Amino acid sequence: MTYVDKPSVPNVVKFDEPMETKRDKLEVMLNTGGDIYQGACKKRGSTLKDEYRHASGTAYMDPRDMAKLGVKNWDTALVKTDWGEVVVFVAHSRDAPHEGQIFICKGPWANVIVSPETYCCCDPTYKGIDATIERTDKDPLLMADLMAEVYMKYDNDAEKSTNRLTDKRINVGKTK
Amino acid sequence: MAYEEPITDYDHIVENCTCAFCGCNCDDLTYLVKDGHVVGVRHACRLGASKVMEDMDQRLMVPMIRDDNGKLVEVDWDSALDKAAELIAGAVRPVFYGWSETSIETMKYGLELGELVGAVLDNQATICHGPSLQAVQNAGYPVMTLGEVKNRADMVVYTGNNAMNSHPRHLGRYSTFPRGYFRKRGRFDRTVVTMDPRYTDTAKMSDIWVGFEQNGDYEFYNAMRAVLRGKKLKKDIISGIPKEDIEELVESMKNVEFGALFFGLGLTHTLSKQRNIDIAISLIQDLNKFAKWNLIPMRGHFNVNGFNIFMAYEMGFPYGVDFSRGYPRYMNGETNTIDLLTREEPDVFMVIAADPGAHFPGGANRHLANIPVIQIDIHWGPSTELADIVLPGSFIGVEAAGTSYRMDGVPIYMKKAIDKPETCRDDEWIVNELLKRVQKIKGVDAKMASK
Amino acid sequence: MEYILKNGIVYDPTNKINGEKKDICFKDGKIVDDVSSDAKVIDATDKLVMAAGVDPHSHIAGPKLVVGRLYRPEDSRRGIVPKTDVTRAETGFSVPSCPATGYRYSRMGYGTVVEAAMPPLEAKHTHEEIMAIPNIDVAPLALFGNNWFTLEYARDGKIDDLTAFVAHWLKLVKGYGIKIVNPCGGEAWGWGMNVHGVDDPAPYWNVTSREVVRALSQVNENLGLPHSIHLHPNDLGHPGNFETTVESMKMVDDIAKNAPLRNQTIHMTHIQYHSYAGTNWRDFESGAEDVAKYINNNDYVTCDVGQITLDETTTMTADGPMEYDLHQLNGLKWANKDIELETTSGIVPFIYSGRNSVHSVQWAIGLEMFLMVDDPWKIMLTTDSPNAGPFIRYPRVISWLMSNKRRMEMIENEEVHKAVQRKSSIATLDREYDFNEIATISRAAPAKAYGFDDRGHLGVGARADIAVYDINPNDIDPSNEYETIEKAFGNAAFTIKDGQILVQDGEVVSVKSSKTLWSNVVGMEQKEKDVMKKVMPVFNKYYTVKFENYKVHDHFVPNPIEFTVQAGK
Repeated sequence: MTYVDKPSVPNVVKFDEPMETKRDKLEVMLNTGGDIYQGACKKRGSTLKDEYRHASGTAYMDPRDMAKLGVKNWDTALVKTDWGEVVVFVAHSRDAPHEGQIFICKGPWANVIVSPETYCCCDPTYKGIDATIERTDKDPLLMADLMAEVYMKYDNDAEKSTNRLTDKRINVGKTK
Repeated sequence: MAYEEPITDYDHIVENCTCAFCGCNCDDLTYLVKDGHVVGVRHACRLGASKVMEDMDQRLMVPMIRDDNGKLVEVDWDSALDKAAELIAGAVRPVFYGWSETSIETMKYGLELGELVGAVLDNQATICHGPSLQAVQNAGYPVMTLGEVKNRADMVVYTGNNAMNSHPRHLGRYSTFPRGYFRKRGRFDRTVVTMDPRYTDTAKMSDIWVGFEQNGDYEFYNAMRAVLRGKKLKKDIISGIPKEDIEELVESMKNVEFGALFFGLGLTHTLSKQRNIDIAISLIQDLNKFAKWNLIPMRGHFNVNGFNIFMAYEMGFPYGVDFSRGYPRYMNGETNTIDLLTREEPDVFMVIAADPGAHFPGGANRHLANIPVIQIDIHWGPSTELADIVLPGSFIGVEAAGTSYRMDGVPIYMKKAIDKPETCRDDEWIVNELLKRVQKIKGVDAKMASK
Repeated sequence: MEYILKNGIVYDPTNKINGEKKDICFKDGKIVDDVSSDAKVIDATDKLVMAAGVDPHSHIAGPKLVVGRLYRPEDSRRGIVPKTDVTRAETGFSVPSCPATGYRYSRMGYGTVVEAAMPPLEAKHTHEEIMAIPNIDVAPLALFGNNWFTLEYARDGKIDDLTAFVAHWLKLVKGYGIKIVNPCGGEAWGWGMNVHGVDDPAPYWNVTSREVVRALSQVNENLGLPHSIHLHPNDLGHPGNFETTVESMKMVDDIAKNAPLRNQTIHMTHIQYHSYAGTNWRDFESGAEDVAKYINNNDYVTCDVGQITLDETTTMTADGPMEYDLHQLNGLKWANKDIELETTSGIVPFIYSGRNSVHSVQWAIGLEMFLMVDDPWKIMLTTDSPNAGPFIRYPRVISWLMSNKRRMEMIENEEVHKAVQRKSSIATLDREYDFNEIATISRAAPAKAYGFDDRGHLGVGARADIAVYDINPNDIDPSNEYETIEKAFGNAAFTIKDGQILVQDGEVVSVKSSKTLWSNVVGMEQKEKDVMKKVMPVFNKYYTVKFENYKVHDHFVPNPIEFTVQAGK
């Protein structure tokens, strides 16, 4: 057995008339942080593996929100903020109820959508970020693929992208 | 979790090892060793055990350099170190980031190297408890060691922190469950309060959960402080909490014998950042008029506090120290890693015992794609995907000895239990080698420093 | 390597050399009778020569220093000096960084400093900082006054157990001697309380300061440690506390001394803070006379002063409740650090101002103590750095002591508040220290009180720890030329440590590693083993570290100077 097996999450709770409030897209508040599964997976060094993608690349949601969105455990969703967008799994949160909030463990997936703004206080704003979450058919990327796609450090053919904070083109490609 | 058979197949045990995970620095671990590998760990939590019984698949075993095709290829130690030293010696604005998962002994060489080349030295505090340190500088620092909590506390407050997930043995070993000198019945003699917008696993084990609103930290603590100072609250509900509940909570906090408050990143990562901690510290100071109260920041890595302490005694400032002008400079929001990266200032980035790839916002990490990155670490992680030179280190507290500081500032000498893989080197050795090579390039003699 | 320091004017009170023109020879780090003609000549013609300074009480290394640095970047920014080819960058004014601490002591001609408060649980931290401090030797005193084992054994009168416990603990933490801070008050602070006077018992433990101090004093003499107990008595900084202070000295007057070098059985530290009369801050006045009188009449007491220097500084002490009171008084940021089973501590920034009547009277009380205690061997120069002012102000204090004119000027020009004339007798004291007395209070007396025979004097066999100051004592009139005095004592012409020239013309020209002085009690190993059988169950239950990880490993003491103490001899 692995040390990082997932918590047992029950299937989505059926609420009264969930379809009535069903939405394609929810406006939520995004929190990030650590949990024990993500921590254990990260520190034992299994970051290239699928277990890390599940531990870290998952949005934990209130079951009511999941019902509204019409998703069940380990479906996938697209989370967008002012700083980026990323595809993650969704799962029932152990901390529920917290309608209107989603929690994604810290890691390469959350990094894409959290705010690097420190307000001159050295610490980025990792918590309390406005976000939207919608259903998607895409699968979350494994860590190495995500890093390659987002940062394009060693991808000579990648299109030039823009650093949102500075509006500067970043140099894509190998370092000299 | 399924039942697991106890491990009986081992050669020998090593006792009183120190866990190299979180700021709890539990120093009571027993490693079960077979054929030079740790095959089992006793007393550790899930996090500690997972780190000690690491995933060898992703262990960095050999030095590597990126080739022209963008692939990391194995090289010998001399080539890797020379190349890294050349990059560091030629840098205009180098940043040495990390240090929180290595020993004080390693930091000593790192600091000497930083002073020599005029680097910025910064650690993980910059993305976790940096605001706490700023608040400490604003408001004060009433702290204690964890044994004070164990022996005396009859009220324990966790705020903005999910200790059951981030510091799993904190409640069990130090704060809540242990039977202390004046708290002979352990858990039954204490009231546990969790103040957190999330109904966390820690909240679930508490006697009282105060689920104030997201980003409502500052208002909530301010209201508590106002009540404590005898003011009437004008609003009925503050940060989602009815005023009667606040009054009742304050009353019970006033009437304890010894209270302990532990705060975590929930306070530092939300919008009001250091102001949340300011007000929490002020609250604790005010509470001392009625009862004994202290606090401890829940430091995340086993030596994140150590780096702050080390830099403070060597250079007077805790983190984000810039040596580019020949003297140490510390300006929050200016000489910190995230700000430097988003401003695209650094031209060489050395990351030691840290993982910016996993923990920095993308907006900061993007600059790491522009510049050479040197990584000293033990596992292939997200940062390795951005690294140009990889130097495999060793595992402090398991494969190498070293000093670390617990979250409450208690120093612990973490002992060595097994040998490191033959092809790896100790962090201390690697950084010292870099120092020697940079000194050679710069034509300076190894100084008779205060070593 | 041989050296001859030529034609200096030497003050060496230990060897009764009082302003003699004399050569000092040293070889391989030790002072010798004579050297060969190959010896390197250091010209000190008509310059003031003394043994390197010995600071008997200063806070320079350890957890509360680091809290001071962590939470006062404003202080770190105040003393910034860029790195040079020889030195690393310096920061800090009242809580300097470790390198700055070493360099600054060197520049003043000091060679040895006693770190006055080391909490045993965090002793490794203190030793790490000592390693990071260059150029001076450091003797850390371990805190025992509020240790639970001390409280228990003192209450139950188990002096033998306490003796073995202290002997063993000094080994574990590599401490030099016994420090006692606000006995029982520290434990009371565990519950946010304090004790008042020497007969107020600690909550729960039901033991008084009197019992604790007497027990530790007996232990100290049973062991025959080189230093006596080092007491920071109860009621620090409270108006009217001089009675507690006198009582604290009285209560050990029957303990027989057991050590060859020192005269005292009790060292009272920062006595200035403990010589207050009055009942509140309004009628607060000097109580120095009674305290000085007691010291003058009793040879078993020594003290250091803790002179207020009228600076912005950082107060830090293991006296936790006092610091909270101070925070309530001045409203500046309060840091506190309680250490399980052992001690407390607190830190508050403080601005001592000559505009403030209380601070000015405190300034006067310190000087009164210097001037009223007749025998300079009983009183020592300190500012309780950084509490009453940073140690870099020692030269200024020396200039005050040597110049009545300067003191009167300060009073007349109202550089200090006019209250000092009403509330102290400072304006009536016209005594001026001479160089021999200065040499006594800043080197000879502290060395003797600590049982150092290898430093603090210039006799043959001593370490070549020498300070040369650029003044001609036969020419200068310190009373008028106080500014020259201050400058000279702050910028040594030469500071030599173990025969190595560290400072020349006020600049640090070389650095060396610090050494750690500690007391190793031998001859009671069986008793220690027996007492540890009783200690261990308590240790395992109530500490939060394992015993194996508690001790200070040799790794943290790379350059030890071990004082071997034959227990009971």
